[in-house]
Amino acid sequence: MSVDLSRVSGARRVSFPHMGNYSIPVKTLAAELDCEIVEPPRMTRRTLELGARHSPEFVCIPFKYNLGNYIEALEAGANLLIQAGGGCRFGYYGEVQEAILRDLGYEFGMVRLVGGFSVREHYRDFKAVNPRLNVRRALQAYRVAIRQTRALDRVEDHVRRNVAFEAEEGAHDRVHAAFLAELDGTRDLRGIAALEERTLGELAAIPAERPRDLLRVGVVGELYVLMEPFSNHFVERELAKRGVEVHRFVTVSAMIDHAGRKKHAYLDRMIEHADPYLRYHIGADGTESVAMTHKLMREGFDGVLHLKPFGCMPEVNAMSALQRLSREHTFPVLFISYDAQTSETGLRTRLDAFCDMLRMSKDRRTGAGADDAPAALASQGGR
Amino acid sequence: MQATIGLPRSLLYHKYHVLWTSFFEAIEVETVTSPPSNRAILERGVELAVDETCVPLKVFLGHVDSLRGRADYVLVPRIVTLAKGETACVKFLGAFDIARNAIPDVPLIEYNVDVAAGIRERDELCRVGRVFERNGRRVRRAYDHAKREQQRHAAEVSAEQMAIAERDGVKVLVVGHAYNLYDELLGRPIRETLARQGVEVLCSELADMEQARTLARRVSADIPWTYNKELLGALELYRERVDGVIFLVTFPCGPDSLMTELCMRRVKGLPAITIVLDELQGEAGLNTRIESFVDLIRARGRAGSGVAGGGAL
Repeated sequence: MSVDLSRVSGARRVSFPHMGNYSIPVKTLAAELDCEIVEPPRMTRRTLELGARHSPEFVCIPFKYNLGNYIEALEAGANLLIQAGGGCRFGYYGEVQEAILRDLGYEFGMVRLVGGFSVREHYRDFKAVNPRLNVRRALQAYRVAIRQTRALDRVEDHVRRNVAFEAEEGAHDRVHAAFLAELDGTRDLRGIAALEERTLGELAAIPAERPRDLLRVGVVGELYVLMEPFSNHFVERELAKRGVEVHRFVTVSAMIDHAGRKKHAYLDRMIEHADPYLRYHIGADGTESVAMTHKLMREGFDGVLHLKPFGCMPEVNAMSALQRLSREHTFPVLFISYDAQTSETGLRTRLDAFCDMLRMSKDRRTGAGADDAPAALASQGGR
Repeated sequence: MQATIGLPRSLLYHKYHVLWTSFFEAIEVETVTSPPSNRAILERGVELAVDETCVPLKVFLGHVDSLRGRADYVLVPRIVTLAKGETACVKFLGAFDIARNAIPDVPLIEYNVDVAAGIRERDELCRVGRVFERNGRRVRRAYDHAKREQQRHAAEVSAEQMAIAERDGVKVLVVGHAYNLYDELLGRPIRETLARQGVEVLCSELADMEQARTLARRVSADIPWTYNKELLGALELYRERVDGVIFLVTFPCGPDSLMTELCMRRVKGLPAITIVLDELQGEAGLNTRIESFVDLIRARGRAGSGVAGGGAL
């Protein structure tokens, strides 16, 4: 925990890094600080270029995106930055980012929520910023933010699984965009529930043509590149364009479900799923990547995409297990690493090849019944 | 036939070799240590590892592989936490499972240390000892003896370093993990190049963890990695006594990528360079960099305090 307000002068304007559409619940929480919220501008190529220019050379890519978000937010007038904490290098981003931004000459305060996800510690940090905050108000804000998160994750999960098969292009996106616009600002539990139900109904009513032998692919890996579509070059949408039903299990809702007291039981369950490829927890989301891949393979999925920032240690740890699993079961796993130089064209070509391979393998299986799926694409690096 | 245990001369071997060898010696298990790193070991490690694995972990896999058929088991520690509120680098959580998946035909034996979760080195190493020696009391005594040996050794190293630090002449502190500094391929050429230049070399090995923790806090409030705290502690301990600092980093080290950045920004007024090693390292370019760094330090020394700042190269 660390809150430094000494360098904030005048009215406070708070900002935070982007991750997917979670800025909506984050704004609900930040509103409790009783100060103006400066949402960082939408992610663009410039965000990454700014971030990469001032970051350590081989730090993982989420650091660079976060730093880019901060710089653009500071340019837009923010003077109080929030950084969260996590189970790997991420937990240490804040201190280094603060030093970099100070050397760049910015004047700002920083709230570093280190030590992982602890409501109690967050409360203490928030209280330091806003002394008028009380426990009841804070808990209510948490409840609303969590409810918004769940609605968001449910709606986006539905879109992921179905957008590939819509009869009229853009139908899902229209409903999704309207949902986001309305969710941003709906801060009562009943209102959010009603919005969620209505949206899911509208999505279900979209005319679709689902083929009987569609391809099902799971996306696993490091949480930031999974949850920030800009950082993964919209890989889920690219899969959908190739007629794939996409499943993803890492969401903020899932993280909340497995946090706190339930963490140990959850990890134990993941180790069980990952058997015989792992005997121990290998850090952050790595264990889960192996466990989920193993589980999806047994559930008859056609393949798995493993995403990570270049050099992400927990996911590199997972890769030796995933490569062995893929080899032993001829189960296709495509490994993609993201850094500041990742090329969109290269990524598309690899996805084309991967989906073609899955298609051929599936046709052969359903046609001749012979199970001679091609060897897994255990290729590495996506640059 | 006497039981044998293989010790890969890499990663934590360079921190715990005294503990391990004295422990197994005391329970009459023969230790077989892999040779100092060489090109063949590194190349084998590169083959076995995922591309993006850090260099020392690649070296480690090469060492494990080189012990194939030479011991009943190969010892691989798994370190999660060494103190509450701290962590070890994630590779130490994964090294055992990575080696198991990459080299399935070498029998491994692990000991697991997670102090924050109540899993202690003594219990775990004794569990390994019991595989070879049925007498539990004897095993525990062997551990206690080995731990004392390790502490004695660490104090000696530390005293030696301090003696160097107090000497006259040009002194350079090399800040880097023991498994890089003392590796035959990674750190040794650098230490030798410095010595050839007539420079006294200090390594960031620190005996007292308590001291390291306190000192590290002066540079970084939040840094979570125990072994990096040691590095920061050494930096704080010696910075007044040396003429320059070399940060020795291996590609693409996660903790060091952030720690070095912070140090370069916070440690002002002391010449510093960062050397990033990868598996393709050529010595010529490296020597040139080190030589010019030493030249700079000497020039700065001659100019006395007239040259203010100094800063990073």
